Amino acid sequence: MSRWNKVKWLIITLLVIAVYWWAVTGIDFNLQRIIAGLPKGKVILERIFVKSLKYIGSPFFWEMVMEMLKTLAMAYFGTFIASVLTVPFAFLAAVNFSPYARFFKMLLNFIRTFPEILLAIIFVSMVGPGPFAGVLAIGFHSVGMLGKLYAEAVENIDMKPIEAITAAGGNFWQKLVFGVLPQVFPHFASYSIYRFEIAVRSASTVGLVGAGGIGVPLLLKVQGRNWEQVGVIIIVIIVTVVIVDYLSAYIRKKIV
Amino acid sequence: MIEFRNVVVVYPNGFKALKGINLHISEGEFVAIIGPSGAGKSTLIRTINGLVRITEGDLIVEGKHVQKLKDNELRLLRRKIGMIFQSFNLVKRMSVLRNVLVGRLGYVSTLKSLFNLFPKEDIEFALSNLEKVGIREKAYVRADQLSGGQQQRVAIARALTQQPDIMLADEPVASLDPPTAKVVMDYLKKFNEELKITTLVNLHDVELARAYARRIIGIRAGEIVFDGKPEELTRDVLIRIYGKWQES
Repeated sequence: MSRWNKVKWLIITLLVIAVYWWAVTGIDFNLQRIIAGLPKGKVILERIFVKSLKYIGSPFFWEMVMEMLKTLAMAYFGTFIASVLTVPFAFLAAVNFSPYARFFKMLLNFIRTFPEILLAIIFVSMVGPGPFAGVLAIGFHSVGMLGKLYAEAVENIDMKPIEAITAAGGNFWQKLVFGVLPQVFPHFASYSIYRFEIAVRSASTVGLVGAGGIGVPLLLKVQGRNWEQVGVIIIVIIVTVVIVDYLSAYIRKKIV
Repeated sequence: MIEFRNVVVVYPNGFKALKGINLHISEGEFVAIIGPSGAGKSTLIRTINGLVRITEGDLIVEGKHVQKLKDNELRLLRRKIGMIFQSFNLVKRMSVLRNVLVGRLGYVSTLKSLFNLFPKEDIEFALSNLEKVGIREKAYVRADQLSGGQQQRVAIARALTQQPDIMLADEPVASLDPPTAKVVMDYLKKFNEELKITTLVNLHDVELARAYARRIIGIRAGEIVFDGKPEELTRDVLIRIYGKWQES
């Protein structure tokens, strides 16, 4: 190893140590506090996942199931709006259709950088608390993600059938409907269902900032340290998410 | 009638694909175009329906100067020119019938076509063209469920549905096995004779060209180096077209 290499390695090692030091001191890391907190953690987890079980079937449980259904409706509506709004973006951001693809890809990336929870806070202030704000937050964020996926589907189409439609005298709209949509639509549908899967999870949490859905009672019960009822809500969310994931995977396999 | 006068095609990357083509093709002819890969066969037939725009010269198809046509006029010309391709170019996820109806897109109004409101006569005509290529029973099957030979027949039915005066075929049998290739070539020949469709076929198989065409055009490096009857296609001529020739 040359002398310069040795110096380089030394510098890198020191820098890495410095970063760790900074991180550990910066967050006030304290092993003792973890150990001291363990019994408390055990009690809470027990209340959330064990003691809560006896509430399954109670009126509160059914109330939360209804809240979850409303949450699913939020996720569905948000995803649906986004799926429709995204279609023009998909073509504008696809290099084989748009001369401004780079610009629109950047725009979609920019939209995606807003965390849903932040969007939810903004929309709650704009339109007031409730599911409508949640739907808007989910819809807006979804456009960012779906736009990118849709655009990739558009970029991957086979242009040859479209050449054939051109040769037969088809115009722009006919090429779109006969040549492009049959190729991209199954992908669009599949991505939207996948996005719905994610939206169900976010719809469950945007309630924490007042944007409707099951997150609202969750927040109230957490604030009241009512861990059994928190547990009921978490179990309802987990079971729903598992079912939605499973169904989504099944349907997507059938489509594409 | 198709007439090329000093037609030059230069691609945006600077490649000169056609270097001054002069050619006259009369109504009802069956012409095979042969030549090595990259000689300009595809470019030549694609200029006829304006899929490739010419850079210089004059190209007259059905009395129209193709290079001067506006988008709308070009579409009206294209609907009278059927085209089939090496890879069939069907929309795989659509039914056979809907693929064939693509041949009517130049005739029906845009709005009606988008909502799939084809006149009854158009649907019957499309079905009758599937009948002509012997696969009417496949009308409601998805296009990708068909074999290669069947897909090319669907493509021929699509072209026939345009009621074309001219049929362009770009290596129509290059991805088919010999017996299937013969079926497809027989159909092209049949419709050329029965429906008087002027037919231009790009072929890399010289024997097929000899068997089907009454006129063969050999091109090499963007220039016509032979234009004559199959009998005139001697070994010397083939060497002129391909650079070298090995009798099989």
